[in-house]
Amino acid sequence: MAQAGETLFRSIVAAKPKLVTGVPDGMLAQTIMLCTASPDFPYIACAREEECIGVASGAAMAGERAVVMVQNAGLLNSLGAFATMGLRYGLPFVVIVTNRGALADPNGYDIEKREAFDAGVRPMARVFDFDASHLPDDLIPAAFKWAEAARKPVILALEKRLGAEAAA
Amino acid sequence: MSNLPSQKDAIAAALALYPTRPFAVSDIGSQTGWLKAASHDARNLYVSGPMGLATSVALGLAAVRPNEQVLAIAGDGALAMNLTSLATIFGAKPKNLSILLVDNRVYEFTASAPTPTRDMDWLAVGRAFFGAERCMRLSDLTAERWAGVARPAMIVADIAPAPNKPPALGMTPAMIRAAFLEASKA
Repeated sequence: MAQAGETLFRSIVAAKPKLVTGVPDGMLAQTIMLCTASPDFPYIACAREEECIGVASGAAMAGERAVVMVQNAGLLNSLGAFATMGLRYGLPFVVIVTNRGALADPNGYDIEKREAFDAGVRPMARVFDFDASHLPDDLIPAAFKWAEAARKPVILALEKRLGAEAAA
Repeated sequence: MSNLPSQKDAIAAALALYPTRPFAVSDIGSQTGWLKAASHDARNLYVSGPMGLATSVALGLAAVRPNEQVLAIAGDGALAMNLTSLATIFGAKPKNLSILLVDNRVYEFTASAPTPTRDMDWLAVGRAFFGAERCMRLSDLTAERWAGVARPAMIVADIAPAPNKPPALGMTPAMIRAAFLEASKA
């Protein structure tokens, strides 16, 4: 997962965002630490995930690229902001979500988060799913290209997959 | 009659503290309506997101426009819904962001139902986050004094509840976004 964290960070840098914001999750920790140390953009550590949607919206309203990193439970807490800012104003920011509770990630306290993510998020927003240990180098630039063409935010759901760590 | 200023007058007075027009980011409903009534400007960002999100939106804007002053305008009911944003702003330490808290002790757009914070000392709350030298009452400020206050900073304005809601905004989200995009070009 350490290598995947670096890959994700490099992909974020390649997209040239003006800011990155988030609330930590274990699967995002390395990327967040790399973002915090990056001279290429500010990383804004929010106390709560809904704030991240607001911060990204402020950047996007000025026409600048912003990346959000949160866990699925955090995005669930933020759907009102996602809808009334991101969707209502058509703001092309990128939300990286760790979709916990997968078959290879069976913490009991994560299961309902994943089910709520499927029930609540997927019907209202475009979600693209990825194996967190095998991320394409051009993931974040491609996500911005899609969001800017679609004129709305895009969600990248990263999950642990069976056999992925061994293959990596 | 209350001796307190109206929300419209308080917003106008806060904007007048700046030598040049700052970006103003207002919370949904009351603050957005009164900001437009007080000083409609292309540099206003009228937020229609959840109550209280203006401080977070303003933080994002301040981060991507570091050479511009940004003023978030929040009501007491709104800021109570996003109180954690004060902690985030304290941590991010933007050198160009301030918050105007307009405290009328009611939810103006919801039949003026009382807010749970109506007996709270907002000056003490702001000072707990930003310190006494960065959080003061609007009535104690002059443009000269405000110019010397380091950011992030917070202004607390006790205001009178309005007898009526502000005039309707009359702008669609697309209109708001297009106007602000043009006004906020780097």
